[in-house]
Amino acid sequence: MNWRGELIAAGAFAIRNLQMASRNVFLIFELLFWPVVGVVQIGLMSQFLTLSAEEKSFVLIGQMAFSIVGTCQLDVAYSVLYDFWSKSMKHHFLAPIGIRHLTVGSWVVGILRGTVVFGLTGGLAWYGFGFNPFAAGVMPVVALLVGCYLTAWIVGVFVCVLILLFGGRAETAAWASINLVLALAGIFYPVSLLPWWAAAVGAAIPLTYFLDAYRAHFGFTAEFAFPVVTGLVLSALYVALSHVTLHAAVNRARRTGLLLKMSE
Amino acid sequence: MLAIDAREVAKTFRAGLIRRRETPALRGVSLTVERGAVFGLLGPNGAGKTTLLSILATLLTPDRGEVYVLGLDVRREADAVRRRLNMASGNASFLWNLRIPEILAFYGRLYGVHGATLRRRVDELIHTCELDAHRRVPYNELSTGLKQRLALAKSLLNEPELLFLDEPTLGLDPDVSARLRRHIASLRSERGMTIVLTTHYMREAEELCDEIAFIKAGQILARGTADQLKRQIAIGDVIAFRLDPGAGARLGEMTGVLRATPTSDGLECTVDSAEKRLPELLAALHGEGATVRGVAVREPQLEEVFVELAR
Ligand SMILES: Nc1ncnc2c1ncn2[C@@H]1O[C@H](COP(=O)(O)OP(=O)(O)OP(=O)(O)O)[C@@H](O)[C@H]1O
Ligand SMILES: [Mg+2]
Repeated sequence: MNWRGELIAAGAFAIRNLQMASRNVFLIFELLFWPVVGVVQIGLMSQFLTLSAEEKSFVLIGQMAFSIVGTCQLDVAYSVLYDFWSKSMKHHFLAPIGIRHLTVGSWVVGILRGTVVFGLTGGLAWYGFGFNPFAAGVMPVVALLVGCYLTAWIVGVFVCVLILLFGGRAETAAWASINLVLALAGIFYPVSLLPWWAAAVGAAIPLTYFLDAYRAHFGFTAEFAFPVVTGLVLSALYVALSHVTLHAAVNRARRTGLLLKMSE
Repeated sequence: MLAIDAREVAKTFRAGLIRRRETPALRGVSLTVERGAVFGLLGPNGAGKTTLLSILATLLTPDRGEVYVLGLDVRREADAVRRRLNMASGNASFLWNLRIPEILAFYGRLYGVHGATLRRRVDELIHTCELDAHRRVPYNELSTGLKQRLALAKSLLNEPELLFLDEPTLGLDPDVSARLRRHIASLRSERGMTIVLTTHYMREAEELCDEIAFIKAGQILARGTADQLKRQIAIGDVIAFRLDPGAGARLGEMTGVLRATPTSDGLECTVDSAEKRLPELLAALHGEGATVRGVAVREPQLEEVFVELAR
């Protein structure tokens, strides 16, 4: 493998996402407004319900993870969505690149933006509601963020798959799916509270394990053994699966002509 | 050496899950194009031109047939093919927010160009495609002509050996399209690029293309140089007489005269061969005592060939 070539092609998508983000007024909303509003709402609600410090940390962690995953997966989805919206899809599939360049490059920008969101919401949770994300040290936070980014990558790639399979019709489904995934991962409640079938789906989502691992540092008994390792293994599986699926979706789009249709 | 060798290529578009619709776009097209040639694809709307170009450019997988581009199999060696070709179309579109240098740099990187080389190449292309004055304008504020030139610039980023142009001068004013045509011609003469283009402008095809293939309903009906096509399609020569009104009314019945249409100042006869028929027609006019004020013989235009074939 030619690493230089890999970096240049992936870098192309990273630079493009950054350029687009820098021109987008709604970036303020994606990056500042919604995450901040989310934490403020959840923080105030926990005060109103006079939740214990542990319970408050539980829901605040959930809300932060929600914002981080949401922001990061958006960047991955943008790698295909921008071209879908601007009808320029065919140009990059005409070039000698692999889908990995597209997903990795845009994911890197997603990680950057996710980290900004973490800084903002974490700072706010600490300053406004007395929840220190670093209370248990740095490593748990790193593990949680890695979990968020991996989950976002996977979700983002699957959104790209939906767009390439169904075109514009998939857009709403794509946005709904992220909320469903997060609801099943138990952002505001332990997964054990869900009906068994939903809990089973939740147990298949990597983020569930990373949240579990992080919350164990805040006085909650872990629901899973070796959550971080399980989360990483699951993530690796899904990353592979999502990329294989995206590859197949691109090939299908080349066969059906959807790639051309999305460019006119 | 062949740049393109396509054999019996077929493609049918299928849509709809329950009520399946099938659109046959190509029905067994075979096409060869020599390296260094400028090749034109002509044909009515929906003939399959874009479909054929897309298959050759690896954007579309054929249902059937074999396609070799620059000696490589487009299915098995797609990436190697992609490195060496590029495509621009008249209805190209790019990210609305980005500026010309950003768009070019993005696609340049996808072809592995980077650093100082990338900057130099982007600058050169902006210069040769006359985009200098618009460097800072976001894409969606560019005029059609500028967008088209940007699409051409993008397609030259990887210095392709083979270039596909799908209606490159669509919607351009005569001056801009003439300049674009000169640019396209220079790509071949200066860099030896093989170019395959589609167009609905016959003058463009005659001016640029060494050879033309005429495609209709997914099949190639004829191929050759513009002159060969005109002869091959045998719609004959046109003899235009300037006559008094009503004169020569019976010329249409003579042998060798395919058609006789009255014009504002006389009569236009389409004949199988002007050489053979002109003396006979003149003799007939002389016989009926008509005054012949002028005679002009002209070859049929490519446009007439097109209309004849498209019928
Ligand atoms: N992506 C697609 N999906 C479904 N059908 C398609 C697609 N692209 C083309 N077709 C159909 O295939 C046929 C050939 O279309 P194509 O675009 O190749 O024609 P064309 O010769 O380029 O026409 P034009 O001169 O209008 O550009 C048409 O009937 C068209 O409707
Ligand atoms: Mg077309």
